[in-house]
Amino acid sequence: MAGPIINDTTTKTKEKKITIDPITRLEGHGKIAIFLNDQGNVENAYMQIPELRGFERFCMGRHVMELPVLTNRLCGVCPAAHHIASTKTLDAVFDARPTETAIKLRELFYMGQYTHSHIAHFYALAAPDFVLGPSAPASKRNILGVVDAVGVPIGAEVIKHRSHGQKVQEIIGGRATHPVFGLPGGVSKQISPEEQAQLEEMAKSCVGFGKFTIKLFHDLVLGNKDYLDLILNKDAYYLETYYMGMVDKDNKSNFYDGDVRVVDQTGKEVLKFKPDEYLDVISEHVEPWTYMKMPYLKKIGWKGFVTGPQSGIYRVGPLGRINVCTGYTTPLAQAEYEVFKKTMKDLGVTGPVHHTLAFHWARAIEIMHAAERMLELASDKSIMSDDIRGPYGEPKEGVGICEAPRGTLIHHYASDKNGLCTKINMIVATTNNYAAMNTSVVQAAKALIHNGEVSPGLLNKVEMAFRCYDPCNSCGTHALTGAPALEITVKRRNGSVVKTMRNF
Amino acid sequence: MRKLVLGVGNPILSDDGVGIHVARALKARNLPGVEVEELPASGLELLDMVLDFDKVVIVDAIQTRGGVPGQIRILEEADFERAVHGSSPHGINIATALAMGRKVVPDRMPKEVVFVAVEAEDLINVSESLSSKVEAALPEIVKRVEKELA
Repeated sequence: MAGPIINDTTTKTKEKKITIDPITRLEGHGKIAIFLNDQGNVENAYMQIPELRGFERFCMGRHVMELPVLTNRLCGVCPAAHHIASTKTLDAVFDARPTETAIKLRELFYMGQYTHSHIAHFYALAAPDFVLGPSAPASKRNILGVVDAVGVPIGAEVIKHRSHGQKVQEIIGGRATHPVFGLPGGVSKQISPEEQAQLEEMAKSCVGFGKFTIKLFHDLVLGNKDYLDLILNKDAYYLETYYMGMVDKDNKSNFYDGDVRVVDQTGKEVLKFKPDEYLDVISEHVEPWTYMKMPYLKKIGWKGFVTGPQSGIYRVGPLGRINVCTGYTTPLAQAEYEVFKKTMKDLGVTGPVHHTLAFHWARAIEIMHAAERMLELASDKSIMSDDIRGPYGEPKEGVGICEAPRGTLIHHYASDKNGLCTKINMIVATTNNYAAMNTSVVQAAKALIHNGEVSPGLLNKVEMAFRCYDPCNSCGTHALTGAPALEITVKRRNGSVVKTMRNF
Repeated sequence: MRKLVLGVGNPILSDDGVGIHVARALKARNLPGVEVEELPASGLELLDMVLDFDKVVIVDAIQTRGGVPGQIRILEEADFERAVHGSSPHGINIATALAMGRKVVPDRMPKEVVFVAVEAEDLINVSESLSSKVEAALPEIVKRVEKELA
């Protein structure tokens, strides 16, 4: 196999605006507009998210018990995350106490979601850049090109283990894609001995695949100086932001439950909050050029698309989680976390890792952790107990938070005495990252585009700056279309188009 | 011969859910030798569902320039060639998922995949109902899917 193609030939443009529309390889349509000045250098860039109408209104007046199956329709990618956040919100709304078995089943189910979602991103959306190269021809830079390069057997393993993640969700959640098992105080379905055996078998296999994924990341990315240089490129892929993510009582990363921890640019804890305190921590900024809101840390404030301690912009998702935690509860993920920290330390990085492309490494570590945790839970015979539903009270108001694969996910509902929804608010992972993603796009465009010289590879490197966040626009705007599409347009200052690239 | 009708779409996004509405109508008819499934997601999930069937009819919404809402188009995998290899190289869309299956697990892939694509009018508003024009076309769409299964 030939080596990856890192750079391609640029051509000089006299145009002043470049648009990337719709953004390839992410759910929901998005558009990046890059504006050039008279010298052909980047003046500014905007990542715009389109409109979707009426989801909150659609939920109002419904019975709150319906919300776990309605909110998960927001997305064809991470419905399980919405189902879990929604179910936990119902725990709070009904003041319910889920049983130990129910908590284990919910978490086991959720590890299936992480397995399927992270594998899909790592192999289908990120690997084309690392296997074929960011400047490889667009017709090859996709999962089919990856399979051509690495071989059909590895492709088959990817399909198999992604399917295992789905199957775990189907066995526990009733349906693979849009689950139906979450209830306030518990779950609706008990696990049989045959199902437990099947879950354990799949989890064992996923642990093996997690090890393979970590090794592949080392071989392909860390073993290639060009990629290491790309990851360490502070001009294009580096933001000193705050970070947010869920941790357990020992500050170990936890995807299902715990307090939400916020650290600053040096790694110092600045906040730790419980779900019902989220409104004290987060405010939302609105820009006139996009439909998606931009959350920021209330006590720091909104200072625009800038970073550093004075700016309330924070990041969530794999990079956010790895930066707020002190490690993982499972041995192989913990071992790789230590390799991650040591490697970065040897490169002169102490404290949080601000290198945007390190999202990919953190995601690989989370594939490992999800598989190990899945095996721990699937091997626990007590998951077959019939004690799957705890007590619950009258409906009121409540907040539930979990870590979606893409980052911290917050649901908040209020109910009248009959259980009908009177208020709903959601802050989804992609929204939490939106201000940072836009800042990353501006940074990469400014660093990579000079004197009007552009090329498909260069624009793909701009896309890489936000694609590693694994954004899901359909969730972010509460849109439901779920079709990946993107257009990039480069424009002159007068608005005339220099160049447009689209994938639809 | 194992046959599958796969209704693709989001049942709470107006006409995007037309595939789901068709699947539900067909399920109620209980056609012998035909399995009917709903797929509310895109991408590799689709691959999981079509494996080991001989023939698959996929019903989904489509939006084209100048298309008439409710209009039916019959498409084949070959019609998506450009979507897989052309200007849409990255998204794991239906065509890419099928191409991935043909490459990685060719023996388990259906011999024939037919797309019944229905022109949508509203893909923006959250609603469990179809637009009136697509709703009116529903019986015709169901009939057409049955014909494709024959």
